[in-house]
Amino acid sequence: MRTRLLPEYRKYREAVYMNLKAQLVWRSDVIFNMLFTISKILFAYLLWRIIFQQKDMVAGFTFHGMLSYYIISSFLSQLEMSDGISGEIFWRIRNGTFTNYMVLPINTEGYFIAMEAGVVLFYLAFDFLAAVIWIFLFRIRFVFTQEPLMIFCAALMVLLGLLFMVQLNYYLGILTLKYQEINTFLMIKKNLILLATGTIVPLALFPEKIVKLMSRLPFYYVTYLPSMLLTGRCGEEAVPGILTLIFWCVFLQFVIAVTWKSYRKKYDGVGI
Amino acid sequence: MNIVETQNLTKTYRRFVKPEGLSGSIRNLWKREYEEKSAVRNFDFALKEGEFIGLIGPNGAGKTTLTKMLTGIIAPTSGKISVMGFYPNDLKNEFKRQYAVVMGQKSQLFFELTTNDTMRLFKEIYELDEKEFRETKEYFTELFDVRELMDVQVRTLSLGERMKMELIVALLHNPRILFLDEPSIGLDAIASNQIRKFLKQVNQERGTTIILTSHYMEDISTLCERSVVIHHGCKVYDGRTEELFARYQKNKKITACFSREISPGESLPMAEIVEKTPHKLVFIVPKEAACAALAAIMPWNPTDIAVEEDEIGTVVERIYQEGSRYED
Repeated sequence: MRTRLLPEYRKYREAVYMNLKAQLVWRSDVIFNMLFTISKILFAYLLWRIIFQQKDMVAGFTFHGMLSYYIISSFLSQLEMSDGISGEIFWRIRNGTFTNYMVLPINTEGYFIAMEAGVVLFYLAFDFLAAVIWIFLFRIRFVFTQEPLMIFCAALMVLLGLLFMVQLNYYLGILTLKYQEINTFLMIKKNLILLATGTIVPLALFPEKIVKLMSRLPFYYVTYLPSMLLTGRCGEEAVPGILTLIFWCVFLQFVIAVTWKSYRKKYDGVGI
Repeated sequence: MNIVETQNLTKTYRRFVKPEGLSGSIRNLWKREYEEKSAVRNFDFALKEGEFIGLIGPNGAGKTTLTKMLTGIIAPTSGKISVMGFYPNDLKNEFKRQYAVVMGQKSQLFFELTTNDTMRLFKEIYELDEKEFRETKEYFTELFDVRELMDVQVRTLSLGERMKMELIVALLHNPRILFLDEPSIGLDAIASNQIRKFLKQVNQERGTTIILTSHYMEDISTLCERSVVIHHGCKVYDGRTEELFARYQKNKKITACFSREISPGESLPMAEIVEKTPHKLVFIVPKEAACAALAAIMPWNPTDIAVEEDEIGTVVERIYQEGSRYED
């Protein structure tokens, strides 16, 4: 069993490295990415400093608590960049180069997850570095939970959340096999995320039943809840959040398997 | 033992037909018409291990569709297909590990990285051990003389260099079958020649079965002992390439130069005169009349004579025309 599993694992690890190496090719991209992260923290620092000059607490957050939440949540949001997967699959199916993945002895979904992991690792390293530098430079008293269990739950939630978003975008991408055009699906996904995370309309304005329904969707647990957990809040939601994400990951994997089995036969490889 | 076998293999595509103009587009919103197009029809084909076969046909003949079915990329509509004992469209990893496909316009290389990087990835994907990987890499790097290009970003390579790299990456796992779809597209004569030489060597030394799709007849005539001509999805010829060319090579072109002025008059009744100057005569005769035509010009004491086969383009045109008649 061990001898079978090992090479299987190594091919995806190498795919992670390949995408990490591809990110590192462009030096100016690396520098600008760091500058972008730094400038975001700088603007947030200036903005919240002005707001906190008039009061000590905003929505239960102190100045340093708010900055800590902002740094963590923007750091996690930057890691979630799976949108590119659906676009990449859509484009490759439409121009026929999806063939390149079909002829290789790999699991296509696993390969896309590995590619995403390579990109995420790159941003993880540089964004983390930039965040640490600025925490020290602005002497931010970083508010971070001291409970190992909360840290573990948040880390697990981040992993499951990122996995779910990759699965979702992979699923939307392979819909191109049947529908050829998936922009409507992508738009629905985008608006659903905005709605479920309260970005369009504050969740407090919805009837209780709708809010409850939203909390059954996975989007709330991808970046928002882990950020809250890491800043020592909403601890009671950790376990239900993890269970919700596990349910969605398993469910979506089943949907992907069924869809792939049926739709891959529709692929005509026409394009270039 | 056949490595590839197909029986009555058929692939039909369903495509959307839109009437012309804006009104047609609007009507299509609620009533849509489709037509069926057979890309490959009742195709029977068998291939033995180690063969080097050429697939010839005009654009849209069904060559690429056939290759896609053989590699499992697309599923046949009907018929039987077996490649190395597998049903290709099951896309089993054990099957995919045993073949390689190089499509001239679909690169497997990572353009931002080097060929060495892509090879490292393919080593893991095909689960090669380090020793085997190094030996194969060494063999192909040497054969293609590309050692100094292995650490260069792929996007900076020329088309010919890139194609060599595509082939090396594809052959790294020593596949039993290599599918090549237009590998010499866009390449200059030198690069095409190098690639031909390389493919021949791979076929002979490694015993790799090669299925080559190409519009370049020179690729087919110099590499493939056997050819299959496809037209409108049907097989119109399957046999020795030499015989195929002999069958469709109908004329000889004779060029003769003379030290004195000549006037052929009625001496060459079967010939079509292409060029005539006082000291030079170029004419085309049916190949069975070539000896008689040469005998006829000998009394004029030619200073030089050249006898050429039909141009390859003319031969190809005839093959395809014959295919159309067969269809009708």
